Amino acid sequence: MGPLFPQEIISGNWNLFLAFIMGILFGFILEQAGFSSSRKLVGVFYGYDTVVLKVFLTAAVTAMLGLLYFSLFGWIDLSLVYVNPTYLWPTIVGGIIMGVGFIMGGYCPGTSLCASAIGKIDAMFFFGGIFIGIFFFAEGYPLVKHFYMSGFMGAPKAYELLGISGGVFALLVIIAAALMFWGGEWAEKKFPREEY
Amino acid sequence: MKLNQRILTSAILILLGLVIAMVPENTTRPYKLTPQQMVEEISIGTEMIQPDELADWLINNDPTLQLIDVRDPDAFDQFHLPGAVNIPLKDLLSDEWVDYLDQDVKMNVLYSNGTTKAHNCWMILDQLGYENNYVLQGGLNYWVETILNPQKPGAAVSDDELARYDFRKGASQALGGGIQTASPAVDKPKKAKPPVKRRKKKKAPEGGC
Repeated sequence: MGPLFPQEIISGNWNLFLAFIMGILFGFILEQAGFSSSRKLVGVFYGYDTVVLKVFLTAAVTAMLGLLYFSLFGWIDLSLVYVNPTYLWPTIVGGIIMGVGFIMGGYCPGTSLCASAIGKIDAMFFFGGIFIGIFFFAEGYPLVKHFYMSGFMGAPKAYELLGISGGVFALLVIIAAALMFWGGEWAEKKFPREEY
Repeated sequence: MKLNQRILTSAILILLGLVIAMVPENTTRPYKLTPQQMVEEISIGTEMIQPDELADWLINNDPTLQLIDVRDPDAFDQFHLPGAVNIPLKDLLSDEWVDYLDQDVKMNVLYSNGTTKAHNCWMILDQLGYENNYVLQGGLNYWVETILNPQKPGAAVSDDELARYDFRKGASQALGGGIQTASPAVDKPKKAKPPVKRRKKKKAPEGGC
């Protein structure tokens, strides 16, 4: 967790314990925000409810600004922040599979757990499907291994690839987010649904 | 009213974005130690590596040893210790070398001609919080003097000193130094005996704890 575990400030057991507590809090907040409703979740694809879009973009903008300002004040060393390595082609294909699964199943992996916890049967089926997927991926791994590792780019940051500073990129993301919020609210009015 | 709030939030966020877009990125690397901690580190002096220790590791091809030559490339090309990489003082902070300097696998021994430059580098690295960096005591000058061209001690010295001389002579041959080629052959049998005895005696109490 965070800087605490890698910097050996807390032990592995504390790490797991804190993860447990934060997992419960995360699930609770997800549920309270209505993310256990598959109709709300897929609403973003149909346009009648764009709360998912708003929540994710708000989180991204908040974290992005927080990190940049913390770095500016010297409270955090951005070079020490772990960035997932990019495998370009599998990421694109994986994103498409994830999106199709999202529309068809009505959940993403985390929210399916959340909805299972409050007793939604479709979410339990979705959750079971995850394991079927894991099984087939694991058994078929030798077949996709080559593709799975293709397009490795290291751990680049978008603004580095574009050749602009992190701050300018952040401003562009904020403007894009504001436009998408506006577009989302417009869609909600355009494609309203009474009950879902 | 509701719309106003949204516009206000968006305006604040965009303003924050504008500010962050206009300020330069903070690229300073914070020093990790306070001056007091630094004084303590220096006064303990644990960063020093004796030339005899280093010679021993070099002869044994210790895989954890990484020598770092902080002198200019010209000086490096003229002479450097076996296996050393050249990281001149002015390149110390470049990204190219950070994997060498900030790691926890190898033991870096910095050296220059004397000790000043190597110590300057060590202090910066230590402040940055990089571990496993050490300084060769006396630098290359002392290395040449003690290891590559050891002076035969006089008659009235301790056995320890003779043992050390003996080791240095061997090291000198192994590491390509040594101008005296004639004398070692004569001295060898004489000097070879005492150190073996001494070391055995010495090791027993050392191992006790």
